[in-house]
Amino acid sequence: MNESIVRLRNLSKSFAGVDAVQAVEMEVTPGERRAVLGPNGAGKTTLFNLIAGAERPTAGAIELFGRDVTNLPAWQRARLGLARTFQTSRVLPGLSVEDNLYVAALGADGGHLRFVANRRDARLRSRARGAAERVGLADRLRSSARDLSHGEQRQLELGIAMVAEPRLLLLDEPAAGLSRAERQLLTQLLLSLDRDVTVMLIEHDMDVALTIAERVTIMHYGRVVLEGTPAEIRADQRVHDIYLGRTYAV
Amino acid sequence: MRAYTTARWIVLAVIGIMVTLLPELSPTYVSSSIALPTLTTGLCAISLTFLSTYGGLVSLAQTGLFGVAGLLAASLAVESHVDPALAGLIGIAAAATAGLLFGALASSSTGTYFLMITLALGEISYYLFSAVPAFGLHEGINAVFPPSWLGDPVRHPTAIYYFILLVAVGFHLLLRYLVRTPFGMALQGVRDDPERMTALGYNVRVHRTLAFALAAAIAGTAGVLAAWTNTRISADSISLGVTIGVLEAAVIGGMYSLEGAWIGAFTLTVLSIYGPAFTDRYATVLGILFLAIVLVSPGGLTGVLTSIDRRVRHALSNQQLPALADRGASEQPRG
Repeated sequence: MNESIVRLRNLSKSFAGVDAVQAVEMEVTPGERRAVLGPNGAGKTTLFNLIAGAERPTAGAIELFGRDVTNLPAWQRARLGLARTFQTSRVLPGLSVEDNLYVAALGADGGHLRFVANRRDARLRSRARGAAERVGLADRLRSSARDLSHGEQRQLELGIAMVAEPRLLLLDEPAAGLSRAERQLLTQLLLSLDRDVTVMLIEHDMDVALTIAERVTIMHYGRVVLEGTPAEIRADQRVHDIYLGRTYAV
Repeated sequence: MRAYTTARWIVLAVIGIMVTLLPELSPTYVSSSIALPTLTTGLCAISLTFLSTYGGLVSLAQTGLFGVAGLLAASLAVESHVDPALAGLIGIAAAATAGLLFGALASSSTGTYFLMITLALGEISYYLFSAVPAFGLHEGINAVFPPSWLGDPVRHPTAIYYFILLVAVGFHLLLRYLVRTPFGMALQGVRDDPERMTALGYNVRVHRTLAFALAAAIAGTAGVLAAWTNTRISADSISLGVTIGVLEAAVIGGMYSLEGAWIGAFTLTVLSIYGPAFTDRYATVLGILFLAIVLVSPGGLTGVLTSIDRRVRHALSNQQLPALADRGASEQPRG
């Protein structure tokens, strides 16, 4: 059996008495496409923050790539091969599109304390331009990130995550605010990702989420209430109840 | 448009020539009382502008670091008879080391908290130096002279002027180069979104601390050079008033570009010399000027100049477009 890419054990997070994530157990295998779904306030983004190291858990343990990273800071987890996008675009507004992607590649490369540019940087720049082409921003390389439209910023956000060539990609609502055509492009792009990359995805657009995901985890009030294939999730009445706001005992 | 670009280059060239030939073109007084304070204040201000523009960190500890280097170098040279050049280098190294410590303490915060922590560190430096006899208390250390090859900074300031000009240009170019290096690019990323940069694998605290230490070395260099040009330095050289003066220079010149530090330092130096002759309420006038710049042009005088330049270019290109259209119409083949 393959080693898990993500393994969460009894993971919990409380904020001032509010249990955002409660005793979550989860295992994601290499190359898997996993959607984490649930209504607003279900704890999905908090779960991603815990995995990425942006938040410290109140209890439980996190393993990434077979290693306990519970106490590892976010930047070290990124160096292990984790990349993420955020719910709202977090591009670097003062830099150009190419520089955004270059800085992202540089971060994963670990050479950012160099005071002299060298051949490595030429390679990283080339990788940055490749990523821009992949996310459809090849003609905006010199544009300042703050001048991009919302859709373009989402594309850049995805490019920033992908240029690092991660082993684990956490995508927090990548389709939010995109037009129908842009969503289709995004879906195609995510489907075309190499199997070396494991993808975890939070998404409110069910078409996008269930097209990409092979397994789906449903969260509600901070707990995992259901896990299964997209077909099983579609057929389960509890999922309909949760999304329709009907009382559901967790 | 071409004529305007040429005129712009001519103005810049004239300024460059005036700065280069200043000791030959002006009385000694101008070099020693305007040019040298402009360069040393500008050097301290550029360390602040660098941190602010490229790191997003507005530091009020720069004059404290200026004092660490200046007072230590002066004390070593005057009290312990260490060669002034070596004492200066030791002072700058001490400022960089203090910068590492200050940076490590302050780098986990940003905005107002960073401002307050660095203000506290600057004030601690001031009170420390005012209380330690080896640093001359409030009377300070007098008869601080530069290395003999730089001559007498008061009566014959030509040699030290060129030396400080070279140092200033060197640091300016170094900073411009640095911001395009991997370190500088990452620093700008940290300025824009530290959380994003952490998620990309950057140790934001280390980055900020190193930037702070580099800026401390520049502020420290300014401290040593100021002690040499004034032939004295005291704890009062790094008081809160001086800290605010450096901040004023950076803001008046413009916190969004390195050039602003020199423009602001020059403006403030000239105003501080000639302003009191015109009015007893010089400080009030300076305060109003500061307020006006903050409100009207957050980019300072550099921002005003850039804006004028952009408008002129825009107006000229708008004039050219109809002319080109007319020429295009006249060149249409006749049917």
